Amino acid sequence: MGRSWTGRAIVRATASGPALLSGTTLSFLGDLDIRSGNVVEESSDLFGKSIAGSVLVVGSTKGSAGAWRFIYQLFQHGTHPVAMITEDLPDPSVVQGAIMCRIPIISGLAGQILAAGLPQETLLNVEGDTVSED
Amino acid sequence: MYLTDRDKALLDGIDGEASATAMAALVQLGEAFDAADMVDIGYAHVHPGMALYKGDVELIESLSASGANMRVPVSTNIINADVGNWMQTGAPKTLAALQKRSEAAHRKMGSSGCYTCTPYWAGHWPTWNMHIASIESGVTAFANSVLGARANRDGYFATYAGITGRYPRFGLHLDENRRPTHRIVVDAALDGTTDFTVLGYVIGERVRNGVPFISGLARRPTLDEMDALGVGQATSGGISMFIVPGVTPPYEATAVADAALDEIHVTLADIRDIYDRFSAGDPQDVDLIHLGCPHASYNEMRDYSQLLAGRKLREGIELWVTTSRVVRQMAAESGLLQPILASGAKIITDTCPMSCHFARTVSPDPKLGVEAPRLRTVMVDSAKQAHYVRSMIQCPTLLGTARDVVDFAVTGDYRPRF
Repeated sequence: MGRSWTGRAIVRATASGPALLSGTTLSFLGDLDIRSGNVVEESSDLFGKSIAGSVLVVGSTKGSAGAWRFIYQLFQHGTHPVAMITEDLPDPSVVQGAIMCRIPIISGLAGQILAAGLPQETLLNVEGDTVSED
Repeated sequence: MYLTDRDKALLDGIDGEASATAMAALVQLGEAFDAADMVDIGYAHVHPGMALYKGDVELIESLSASGANMRVPVSTNIINADVGNWMQTGAPKTLAALQKRSEAAHRKMGSSGCYTCTPYWAGHWPTWNMHIASIESGVTAFANSVLGARANRDGYFATYAGITGRYPRFGLHLDENRRPTHRIVVDAALDGTTDFTVLGYVIGERVRNGVPFISGLARRPTLDEMDALGVGQATSGGISMFIVPGVTPPYEATAVADAALDEIHVTLADIRDIYDRFSAGDPQDVDLIHLGCPHASYNEMRDYSQLLAGRKLREGIELWVTTSRVVRQMAAESGLLQPILASGAKIITDTCPMSCHFARTVSPDPKLGVEAPRLRTVMVDSAKQAHYVRSMIQCPTLLGTARDVVDFAVTGDYRPRF
C-alpha cells in the first residue's frame, strides 16, 4: 500500500485503473475521438494517448452544455475513463455525465497528485473522497 | 442538502423506480454544487434522444419503459432528422426510423413533442421567477434574460427535473448569481437577427462566463433579436443570462449604473470581424443555404415568406428554412408557406444542418449506415449555425442577413454584410 490523498468527492463511487496524468485542460467536446478514447487535440499533453480505462488526473475539464452527452458516448463505446481526479469543480454537465455513467469524480486533488511525481500508469484506487496507490 | 418529506418519499420509491432514480441523481448533483435544498420547477425542456449518438434513443426508451411520467409541462429539444419528411434532407431511412422511436417513448411519458430549440415560439413560455430546467443553452438564455424565469445551463438532468418536478437550488436559481458581472457598451448600429447573433458571439468570446449588462443599444431589441443575442452568447461563451436594462425582468434602465463592473466596448469593427471570420467560404462552392437558426419564429417565417415571394431560386440551389412543427402549422394557416415552397426552398422541422446527418463529430451505431456527405460551403444567417457548421460539419461558411442570403439564392450576387 502506497500513498493516499483525500479530496472532495463530487461523484461517489469506487474504481481502479492506471493513472493518466495531464497538466493541460481537457475538453470533452472536440479533444477526444469517441470511438477510441484517443486525445486528438494537439495542444493537450495527452495528444495521441487514450483515456479509455484510465484514472484521469487533470486540473480542469472544459465542458459545455453538451459535455454529459460526450461522456455518455464514451461510456457507450467503452472508451471512458474509470475515474476523474480534478482540481477545479467540473461543470454541471460533466458532473451529470459522470453520475449517469457512475464514474467517480474527486475535485480539489489533481494539483497534489500531479506534484507528487507519480509515473504515468501508476495503478490508483479511487474510493469515495480518497485516491491511493495500489 | 435539506430534503422535504416528499423528496425523501420519491427517493424511497413512492412514485416508482424512475422517480427514485431521478431524485437520487438530482441529490448527487445538488451535493456536488452545495445546494441547500431543492426548488419546485414549473417547466422542463428536455433531451429528446438523438439518433446520431449510439445508444441515445435507447436511453430515452429505457427511461420511458421504467415508468417515468412528466410531472410538469415538458417540451423536447431538436433531433437528428425531420421525422415527418426525412427524404427531403437526404437522410437515410434507418436514421429517421430510429429517431421516430424517441417520439413514442416521450409521448408515453407525457412530453409535448415539439422537437425544437425554440420551444417558446411553440407556446412554452415560462414566466418571471419560475424555476425551470433546460437542456438547450439558447432556451436557458431566453428564459433567464427575456422571461425572467430561472434556469441553469443543464444537461440530461432536465429530464429528471421533469419527472420529479424538483431541481437543486444552485447557479442561476439563486439571486446572488443573477447580478451583472460585466458592463457591455455597444457602439455600433445593429439591425436584425443576424447582427444580434454576431453581437452575442462577440460578447460571449469576451466575457466567457458571467452575466453581461448590455448598454448602448439604440432601441429596445425585438423578441427575435433578444433571442438571437442570447444564442450568440451561449455559443461562443458559457453565458446563461444577460441583462438588457428595461427589458430583462426586473432590471430597470437605471439599474447598476454605479456598480463597479468590468467594462467591455463593442464596436462595428468587432462585429465586422465575426462576419469576416464566418465568411471564409467561396460563393461558387455553396452547397446549402440555411435560414432559421435557432428555429424560426412565426415572425421570422413571415420575413422569409416576404423575401421569397414571387421569386425563384437559381437552378441547383438548395435552401432550407428550419422551424418547429408548431410554427410551421401557424405559418401554413396564414398562407406563409406557399411563397417559400413556390420559390423552390424547403421547409424542414425537427432538425437543422448542424443537427442532422451532415454532422461529422457524432458517433452513430455503424449498422445505421449513416454517412455524412462532404459539403464545400454552407451559407447561413446566424452566427450560431456558422460556429457549429464549422466545428461539426467541418466546412467553411458564408454569413449574411436573411435578405442578402435570399438575394444570393435568387440572383447569384454575393454581397458581404460589410
